[in-house]
Amino acid sequence: MAELRCSSLAKSYGARAVLDEVDLVVPEGTLTAILGASGSGKTTLLRLIIGFIAPDRGTISVDGSVVAAAGGLQVAPDKRAIGYVAQEGALFPHLTVAENVAFGLPRGERRKGSRTKEALDLVGLGSDYAARRPHELSGGEQRRVGLARALAPKPRIVLLDEPFSGLDAHLRAETREAVTAALAAEGATAVLVTHDQAEALSMGREVAVLRSGRLAQTATPSVLYRAPVDLDVARFVGDAVVVLGQAGAGFVDCVLGRLRTPDSTAAGKVEVMIRPEQIGLVRTADAPARADDPVLADVIGHHYYGPDSLVQLRLRDDARTLISARTLEIDIPEAGDVVGLAVSGPVAVYPVQEPET
Amino acid sequence: MSVARMTRRRSDVSWRLLGLSAVVAILIVLPIVIIAIQAFQGGTAALADALGASSSRTLLLNSVLVALVATPICGVIGLGAAWFVERTSLPGRRLWALLLVVPLTVPLFVTSYAWSTLSSGLQGFIGAAGIISFSYYPIVYLLVAVSLRGLDQALEDSARSLGLNPRQIFFRVIVPQLRPALLGGLLLVTLDTLVEFDAFVALKFQTFSLDVYAQYRLGFSTSGAAALSFFSIALCIILLLTEGRLRGNANYTRVSRGARRAPVRYELGRWVLPVLAGVGGVVAIGVGIPVGMLIRWFTQSSSAGLSSASGNLQFLWPATRTTVLLGVSSALVALVFALPVAMLAIRHGGRFARLVERSTYLSYALPDLVGGIALSYGAVHYARFLYGSFGLLVFAEAVLFVPFAVVAMRATLGQIEPALEDSARALGSGPFATFRRVTMPLARPGALAAAVLVFAFSLGDLATTQVLLPLNLFTLGTEFQNNSGSVALASAAPFAAVLMVLAMAAAYVLMSRFGTVRAFADGDRG
Repeated sequence: MAELRCSSLAKSYGARAVLDEVDLVVPEGTLTAILGASGSGKTTLLRLIIGFIAPDRGTISVDGSVVAAAGGLQVAPDKRAIGYVAQEGALFPHLTVAENVAFGLPRGERRKGSRTKEALDLVGLGSDYAARRPHELSGGEQRRVGLARALAPKPRIVLLDEPFSGLDAHLRAETREAVTAALAAEGATAVLVTHDQAEALSMGREVAVLRSGRLAQTATPSVLYRAPVDLDVARFVGDAVVVLGQAGAGFVDCVLGRLRTPDSTAAGKVEVMIRPEQIGLVRTADAPARADDPVLADVIGHHYYGPDSLVQLRLRDDARTLISARTLEIDIPEAGDVVGLAVSGPVAVYPVQEPET
Repeated sequence: MSVARMTRRRSDVSWRLLGLSAVVAILIVLPIVIIAIQAFQGGTAALADALGASSSRTLLLNSVLVALVATPICGVIGLGAAWFVERTSLPGRRLWALLLVVPLTVPLFVTSYAWSTLSSGLQGFIGAAGIISFSYYPIVYLLVAVSLRGLDQALEDSARSLGLNPRQIFFRVIVPQLRPALLGGLLLVTLDTLVEFDAFVALKFQTFSLDVYAQYRLGFSTSGAAALSFFSIALCIILLLTEGRLRGNANYTRVSRGARRAPVRYELGRWVLPVLAGVGGVVAIGVGIPVGMLIRWFTQSSSAGLSSASGNLQFLWPATRTTVLLGVSSALVALVFALPVAMLAIRHGGRFARLVERSTYLSYALPDLVGGIALSYGAVHYARFLYGSFGLLVFAEAVLFVPFAVVAMRATLGQIEPALEDSARALGSGPFATFRRVTMPLARPGALAAAVLVFAFSLGDLATTQVLLPLNLFTLGTEFQNNSGSVALASAAPFAAVLMVLAMAAAYVLMSRFGTVRAFADGDRG
């Protein structure tokens, strides 16, 4: 497996720029998730890397050797040794599972069949699948065969295009596990394209957020989630509570009290981004409100999700501010209850652009 | 952004495919270029003479009138037959499906002879309009049937739940979705009628193509013939342009993904007998008349006629051999021509791709005869070694019938998911290996259907064959023609009989393939 490097990639169709100034490095043996809404240019980026289309600007290189350069060298897709798992697997309907997996192998190995079996094992499918036809497989099995087929010829990089879309929750988790295990076993360098935040955060060593053709941020999942570059990204990767505040050195004062922030450069008026699970609820019955400490709020209602719940609150001190808090407790406060709020962990702050008057 | 824009996966243009398609397009347009040269050869005076003659205007009017009458009839029969066979509980659907297509594959010169010997009252306009209606409706039938199979049952279910009754559903949900297929079919019927020649000879119905032939035969005035055929080509271009406009945004690709349910068949109930009678009537006219007359030619001939028939039998085998060889070679060449064009049209949406695809339809507007004349003229003047060769005839037939192959291949290739070819490329297969290992196996049913269609049309072609057939060869068609003039129709009958058998075999293969095309494409959705 190898390192993938995209430098200043740009591609437009007619006047419409689909990708602009995309820089992306996927280190050898790691998985990077490209996260973007539909229409953000994810698929175009993927097709550039595989080689179905040529970049207007920039270069793509694998292990230091250029495979595509704007206006110059353009290695054909079949010569790049980049594996590709299309949406819904795209299995050849006229071939059996084994023939599908063997498709990219040299003629000799195709006949021998050992690598075919190995690749099927890798994705957790036994040899009893070999003779089946694609339409006899479930959706999840089809994706796995698609991955086995891509991995069989030992590609330098594997690209996965929305590999779990359209699967139900249970199958999704199961297939995700099988795919993660297979990729790890092969030590694969992989790029996963998805619009699903949880999928990107849980699978990627790094996550790159693609927004209208530009990479807004590339970071590890935890950095991306806790310190997004802007509020847009913050809201895209998860639920966010945003309030106004006044920042000092390493802290920020807002309606939720004085909170810690790793951003020591920010000063003055800022927007404070807090994840709902950072807001802890203190039941006033257990700890009666003290005048100086906890922030008091009225419970308006809640959304119940099973493992967790999102509680809607209105602040006592500032009735215009509505916020929500995520709680894991079984005993959820009811509408009308009064609770105290305590924020844990650092929060992210973003300077407010003062409107020019 | 529109659904179509989203679903069409853009790839950069493959220059090789583009080049190949352009070469094919040029070859196909070649006869038309030669016609243009011919038309101006005689000087503008001859050209003006030919165009200005009042007779040619009357003849043009004749052709247009037949088209005006026959096209709507074809539309009604084709749409109705497709609906009843595909979507109702009509008894004996498989057999009807086959019998309904046979009239398209039976050579028109045989049908027209059958009609003219059935009753002299059928000669002239009524016979002409009747033959066209009952021989060309299968074009509409086939296109609409394919389209019906591709419809999403969920749409009908939703319409039902919104309170529409079956009749309303038919007109408000089904017919709008069938519009592209229906319009396409009607366009083909109209064009075919304008350039039809073989069907009208026996009926003594004077049309435009017949006049072109007369000009060619009598005065060898190729410039007049060429000038006249300019009318039909101009008409064709206008129709092609308007068809594009009529279709407009009617690009109804299926929006939703997921498993597609098999369509529900409507119970006919007390309508079963009337519908059976209707479908049976269509088949009786389309298949019954030619077959019935053929039997009568055999049985009602004098002993002298029968003995001359048996004297002709020695020619039967060589004529069959030449006919089949010609049909198979034309079909293969047409397929080779159609493949790159269809691929280009499917995979690249650009203006140039559309131009290339549309230009292949131009040969549709070419009266068979004029195409033949043009190519023979071209060979005499620019490629002497081709003149009078079998190869030139094969090329001519391939060029004339390639639009059918393009349409059929387009439909088949369009059903192949681009992701399959993309996957093959990413797995290390080059463009040609991908084509051989993925595209071709998946397109095989459609390719066979396209080849059989071209084969059947080459059976039915007499005009081009008469002009371009090498002197030492004869086909079933030419032998039928040479003998049908004689008093004893029995001597022409054996050739007609073999032609019928070949035509029905073609129809059978076509329909058996037709059944698998869609099923195969659906196989991967599971």
